[in-house]
Amino acid sequence: MSIRRQCYEWRNVGESKNFLITPPLVINNQANDVILNRYPISAVNYKVGEASEKQFWRVVPIQPNQVVDIFNGDIGNNLDIPGQLKAYQFIVLDGIAVYPETFNAQIIVNTTRYFQDPDRVPSRMGGISGNAVPYPNGTPTLRQTILGLNGGIGGIINYDFTDGLNPPVIIKPGDRWAVEVTNNGDVFPFPEGSVALKTATDVGVARCFIKYLLIDGADCIVAQRLIDAGWPLTVENLWRYKQDIIKTHLYAGMAELPEEIANAKRKV
Amino acid sequence: MGIRKQLYTWELHGDNTSGKVGDSTGHYPTVGVEHSILYGDFGYVQPARQTGLVREDEFIVLEKIASTPGISPYEFSVDAVGNLTRWTPNIFVNIIIDTTNYYQDPQNVWSSGVSGFASPYPRNVQDEPYYSLWPPVYVLPDQTVDVRYTIFNDIQLSAENEAWNNIPQATMLAGVFVEYTLFNGTDAMIARKLMNLGIPVNVGTVENYRRLLLKSKGLETETFDFYLETMRQERKRNKKERKLQGVATNNDYESDL
Repeated sequence: MSIRRQCYEWRNVGESKNFLITPPLVINNQANDVILNRYPISAVNYKVGEASEKQFWRVVPIQPNQVVDIFNGDIGNNLDIPGQLKAYQFIVLDGIAVYPETFNAQIIVNTTRYFQDPDRVPSRMGGISGNAVPYPNGTPTLRQTILGLNGGIGGIINYDFTDGLNPPVIIKPGDRWAVEVTNNGDVFPFPEGSVALKTATDVGVARCFIKYLLIDGADCIVAQRLIDAGWPLTVENLWRYKQDIIKTHLYAGMAELPEEIANAKRKV
Repeated sequence: MGIRKQLYTWELHGDNTSGKVGDSTGHYPTVGVEHSILYGDFGYVQPARQTGLVREDEFIVLEKIASTPGISPYEFSVDAVGNLTRWTPNIFVNIIIDTTNYYQDPQNVWSSGVSGFASPYPRNVQDEPYYSLWPPVYVLPDQTVDVRYTIFNDIQLSAENEAWNNIPQATMLAGVFVEYTLFNGTDAMIARKLMNLGIPVNVGTVENYRRLLLKSKGLETETFDFYLETMRQERKRNKKERKLQGVATNNDYESDL
């Protein structure tokens, strides 16, 4: 399994501290904003607004202009360490999507930001917009949601990047990489302290999705050869290169013998 | 039936109780823990709970996995009489070959897998999945394949809120869909051969290889003997001709010595 289609999804969902104790229905409304190496466990909150309220679901608000690293941004599901490739790994990052439409997503490799403005300054909006790459496809707009129309009419469809980023972003062995989302709208979904943070549906959950091809092991060497030869790093080209290697070995076994050996007098 | 397009669906339905811990025991999966869709303790799994061992005359190409979309537990719906009609499990799916997880996160450790938003099942008309399992996963003979789901929304704890009073059996709470191509018998051997040659294994390439084999299948014995004798005669005639022309070499005289 040296060529694998991987994906990572970030959400601004916290986790109640109630889940850290047994039984869970005994503690008050405290939550962690960040959960490491997994997704938060959630449930419908118990008696919201009543004296016996217990919290099991909470969305973490994202402030206007706030930038959040989806790997290590201290909001939602995070990783222990930044994304960094080992010496025998390549990543072909070819898909990115973000929600809501007021959010933008930026890819960072080492110190370089992928999306930039025409004046060559890294995108001031923070990268590609959720209007262009909604997640998931067909997700309702915030306006539709406010008007209560999300169940009745269509949402935003990704038409411009149906095949993902083309050409994709190649991340080489040893490179550090990250993805950031930026909120260019109002606080999302609701201000801190709002009861609605505890009853948010999917339209109130910010999210970012990335899709990439992880090439490791022996295929990493093949990937380097393809790059050296100027070939696009695709599954098909990796296969093709390996086919050619095998073919060459097969032909090597079928090659004609040197003339002095072929014409040598038989000894037995 | 050497090549068959297969699919397997795992579904979790209600148990006609409220779903509270006191009313329902052992029916709903523990949250945050992975469970198998083949032999797990929950939902509609195979009756005998067999593991996904690929037999020695089989070859599997796993092409698609999908699951119920959604994140928030507040996406639930209840009908007029208090039946839960819709539930969002917040589910992720992973593939395991023997002891290796297919999905890992950017820090190179185990991850829960792909979400229902990225690869939804069932798909609505507006659903255009972002994720597709490309390249597909090959499962070789004598390997064990498993598909495991992890649910992060706790339905039993949610039931304590009494937003519903019954979870009908008709309500599908979570689902996982797997699509794969099963090659068996001689087609599995062809698939293995193609894989060793670095050629992608799919229905087209296996059928093409089979056509090539049939096209170049061994000649009838008598025909082969005829061609062999003809070649020998030709070689003998050619050697005699070179001798008569005075262009024969040592090789031509070798058998005469």
